[in-house]
Amino acid sequence: MRGLVSLVLTLVVLVVVTFLLLKLSPIDPALARVGDHASRSAYLQMRQELALDASWPLQLSRYFGRLFHGDLGVSLSSGQPVADDLRRVWPATAELATLAMAVSTILGLALATIAVRRVGRLSDGLIRLISLVGNSVPIFWLGLIALLVFYARLQWVGGPGRLDDAYEYTIAMPTGVVLFDAWRSGMPGALVSALSHLVLPVLMLTAYAIGNVTRLSRTTLLKEMTQEYVTLARAKGAGELRVLLHHVLPNAAALILTALALTYASLLEGAVLVETVFARPGLGRYLTTALFGGDLPAILGATLLIGACFIVLNGLTDLLVRLVDPRAR
Amino acid sequence: MLGTALLGAAVAHARSPPNVLVVVQDLDDIQSLDPAEGFELSGVQAFTSLYQRLVQPDPADATVLRPILASRWEPGSGPHSLIFELRADARFASGNPLRPEDVIFSLVRAVKLNRAPVFILNELGWRAYDIDHQLTKLDDHRVEVRWSANVGPAFVLSILSSPVASILDARQIASHLSGGDNGNAWLRGHSAGSGPFQIRTYIAHEALVLDANPLCPAGSPRLGTIVIRNVADAAVRRLLLEVGDADIARDLGPDQLAALAGRPHLKILQFPSASIHYLLLNAANHSNPALANPAFWQAARWLIDYQTIADKLLKGSYEVHQAFLADGFPGALDTTPFHLDVPRARQILERAGLTQGVHFELDIFNQPPFGEIAQSLQASFARGGIHIDIRPQLASEVYARIRQRAEQAAWLYWIPDYFDANSTASAFALNREDGVATLAWRAGWHIPGLSSQTEGARAEPDANKRVQLYLAIQAEVQSNSPLIIALQERSRLAMRDNVQGYRQGLNADMVYYDRVTK
Repeated sequence: MRGLVSLVLTLVVLVVVTFLLLKLSPIDPALARVGDHASRSAYLQMRQELALDASWPLQLSRYFGRLFHGDLGVSLSSGQPVADDLRRVWPATAELATLAMAVSTILGLALATIAVRRVGRLSDGLIRLISLVGNSVPIFWLGLIALLVFYARLQWVGGPGRLDDAYEYTIAMPTGVVLFDAWRSGMPGALVSALSHLVLPVLMLTAYAIGNVTRLSRTTLLKEMTQEYVTLARAKGAGELRVLLHHVLPNAAALILTALALTYASLLEGAVLVETVFARPGLGRYLTTALFGGDLPAILGATLLIGACFIVLNGLTDLLVRLVDPRAR
Repeated sequence: MLGTALLGAAVAHARSPPNVLVVVQDLDDIQSLDPAEGFELSGVQAFTSLYQRLVQPDPADATVLRPILASRWEPGSGPHSLIFELRADARFASGNPLRPEDVIFSLVRAVKLNRAPVFILNELGWRAYDIDHQLTKLDDHRVEVRWSANVGPAFVLSILSSPVASILDARQIASHLSGGDNGNAWLRGHSAGSGPFQIRTYIAHEALVLDANPLCPAGSPRLGTIVIRNVADAAVRRLLLEVGDADIARDLGPDQLAALAGRPHLKILQFPSASIHYLLLNAANHSNPALANPAFWQAARWLIDYQTIADKLLKGSYEVHQAFLADGFPGALDTTPFHLDVPRARQILERAGLTQGVHFELDIFNQPPFGEIAQSLQASFARGGIHIDIRPQLASEVYARIRQRAEQAAWLYWIPDYFDANSTASAFALNREDGVATLAWRAGWHIPGLSSQTEGARAEPDANKRVQLYLAIQAEVQSNSPLIIALQERSRLAMRDNVQGYRQGLNADMVYYDRVTK
């Protein structure tokens, strides 16, 4: 119950702050909607329809009133209910981020483990370099280069979009998760196409996430390696690998899990550049487009969803940490 | 990477399917596909494929209006009246026959909805309170159209040829009404027209998929499907075209087009565009008195390096054009008296006493090619002793500032809203100080005499006299206004060389996919 109250309060504050920030924005939502050539009458009618002349507390209270009934409003830029838009873009982002997170977790933990075992050696240096590059190379640029090489020149993988033209907008997408929908379509080619189009965007997001996962895991593991229980385990004759996997890793799990959760959350809201380069629908792109157009309902709806994701992920992480680390109970 | 290679080996790439035209462009601007509401470039480009009007410009010569859903027209009961006879065989994509009720429904609906493009119909004097009395069904095939504005039939036909005057299937829309919205919510993502295509799927910010309409009165289109995909990044659009996953790529930058020129299996088509670029100096901004000085306007005309911007910076995607009517419009003035001449500009400034600390802020959109153009202006104006502070902003932010006349100067573009000289003339050369935010008003340019000339030209029924009037009005704006017209766009598209039959006209809505084959 306390958790639920905390969640609701956090989301309310998030909406209020976002709303107030948008009120400071120089973008006029009515003008963005009707365009520069519109007559004054059409412009004023739009202002009235968007209730922009009402005081901001009144606008905010109306928003919360609708929200209480599950109505997120209609997006000004898509003309569709925001809830429908989010149902469409959210699964695409979640699919991309989850796959990238899975790959990053496996590879990142493996690299961190190797680095810790060979700390100070060439392989450790290389792994640290890989982590640094993943975090520092602009993902937009990396995505374009990857498309140029692996899609345009070598033609090993699918390019922008979620499917080849033969399948895109032909197969039904009831869930918005392209792998699942392609599999359900019963067309083997569609599933292969979906996989092929996922390879590069997942790798690009992985390149970003793996840096975080590897660096934080390496630091955490190295810190744990200096603890007395490690010395004791070694004194009792345990091998280095056993020390690392059976003693150090469980003790570092809580911190690593928190780092993984934060990285995952950042992928959920920060995949906008990958979504843009690879012409895939997604929450990040949806929010960015809404911001440029002063699309208040869409911005607030997307912010609420992202906020809820952060809170739920935090809650799940707390739960997991308690499960794996008795000290946290 | 190994996984990538293994997967790649198993993937046989399907290029764009044979009966499908794949167009890649930025679709993020579309807000509505209701022709009475949508006024964004990508949406307007689709309207001609989805809807037909009573009359439309001939794709081969836009100055000639052809009957489309009307079979003929004749003068009506008064000087401000026309009677249209509808095509007897015309049907909508739904199969419903075209009726006078559909014409009346469509035009009344557009006026009463009062959305962005309604000002075009307002030019006829049509307002929500009286539009019901301006349209009458005479019999099952004829409808009478009346107007209260002081304009001639030729102007009325131009207005009725614009997308906002598209004719909709009233019976189909009747089953999609929601809360008295006249079908507006449904039409934002669906079509109810008689054009060569109909909407199969519209996914906002993602794709617009059109299927052929075999019942189109003008004949069924050659291709079965058009997929217009939203690809926001121009470099990615180029890659899709090169690989063959796209057949047409729109809005590529000058560098990308130059790189694609001469590549095998690709071609670049060039079409004239009515889009013109101009410098607006805001004489109404009292924080910078120099901007209200006509000598400053004159000097500015000699401080723009027109040719270098067009040829070198923008690599031929624009040409020098210095009058408000784009080449291709009847009556367009094609003289280009101004060029970069720094000594002459300095002389004008010295004579006017504008020699010390002259500067202004220049608002621009934060997207290509505005940054490049602004930098060129900054450099050439500096040679004349004028310092420019460039202020890149979102387009909506720039427009908001200009509507409030808060800007000092701005580099902007203009696209006519309908195919008549008045669309542009009433923006550049009309300022009645009556609250209508024309470009002349936004520049703080007081022109009671010229405004009367512009209104007179709109009302002039004789086509030749009208041309003469517009030539004189353009000459005045060209030489003596704070609106300095500099460039006209050349619309360039890159496409696969097997794509044939694509046509495009001057105005934004003149995009024709119906004869495309591949």
